[in-house]
Amino acid sequence: MVEILSGIQTTASALTAERTRLDVIAENIANAQTTRGPDGGPYKRRVVVFETVLQHALGRTTPGGASATVRVARIQTDPRPPLLVYRPGHPDADANGMVALPNINVHEEMADLIAASRAFEANLAVVKNARAMALQTLAIGKR
Amino acid sequence: MIDALFNQTNYLAAKRMLDAVALRHQAIAANLANLETPGYQRVDLAPSFQQELQRAIAAGDPARLKQLQPALAPDPTALPNGRDGNTVNLEQELLELNQNALVHAFQTQLITGRLLRLKLAITGRPV
Repeated sequence: MVEILSGIQTTASALTAERTRLDVIAENIANAQTTRGPDGGPYKRRVVVFETVLQHALGRTTPGGASATVRVARIQTDPRPPLLVYRPGHPDADANGMVALPNINVHEEMADLIAASRAFEANLAVVKNARAMALQTLAIGKR
Repeated sequence: MIDALFNQTNYLAAKRMLDAVALRHQAIAANLANLETPGYQRVDLAPSFQQELQRAIAAGDPARLKQLQPALAPDPTALPNGRDGNTVNLEQELLELNQNALVHAFQTQLITGRLLRLKLAITGRPV
């Protein structure tokens, strides 16, 4: 099938991937104080890893990997150890009064959030341009 | 006989350039999509296409222009801007994107102008 908006597949994949990233960042910020994660211990920070997917569909294999889409390869946990804070009154404190909090730096997450939303915007700009170009192409021969 | 109207080098070159612009847009879309993919190499139009196009125009050979196919290739001049080996620069790509859109507008207007002049020549009245 002919793509009227060139590169739309690629951009769509990027928007999906960036949204997943935004979801994961939201999850990290929401769980910044969670001491009871799914595995019983403190919540572990999650990071998305992107990977390129080459589109060999359409029978059009352009050299150099044209229309390379992107996808989330995996969501992995940050290996950094949990933060130990002295809070003897906390129900999850150990015998020494230390509580293991998730090692999440909210500032780091905010910076990531901004980077992700900027990347999202950049991809939206591509769609806008593709649309303008498609309209111009459709207007060929008209004054 | 009517073929001759559409076989002039200028017109064919404009058509080829339009193909190239559309392909270049795909390359930029791919680059921006992979803005944060570790190890991604930015792609762009193969430099050989521009050279071939110039040679074909200089030779004034419609057949050669018709055969010309734009292709994409990884850009060897782009340098990685971080430790993850990704060679895409956001500002650069957005500039290229806008420049590409302008080139596209120029090419479509060129082709439109040509078609309208042809129409004028045939009908004898401006459309």
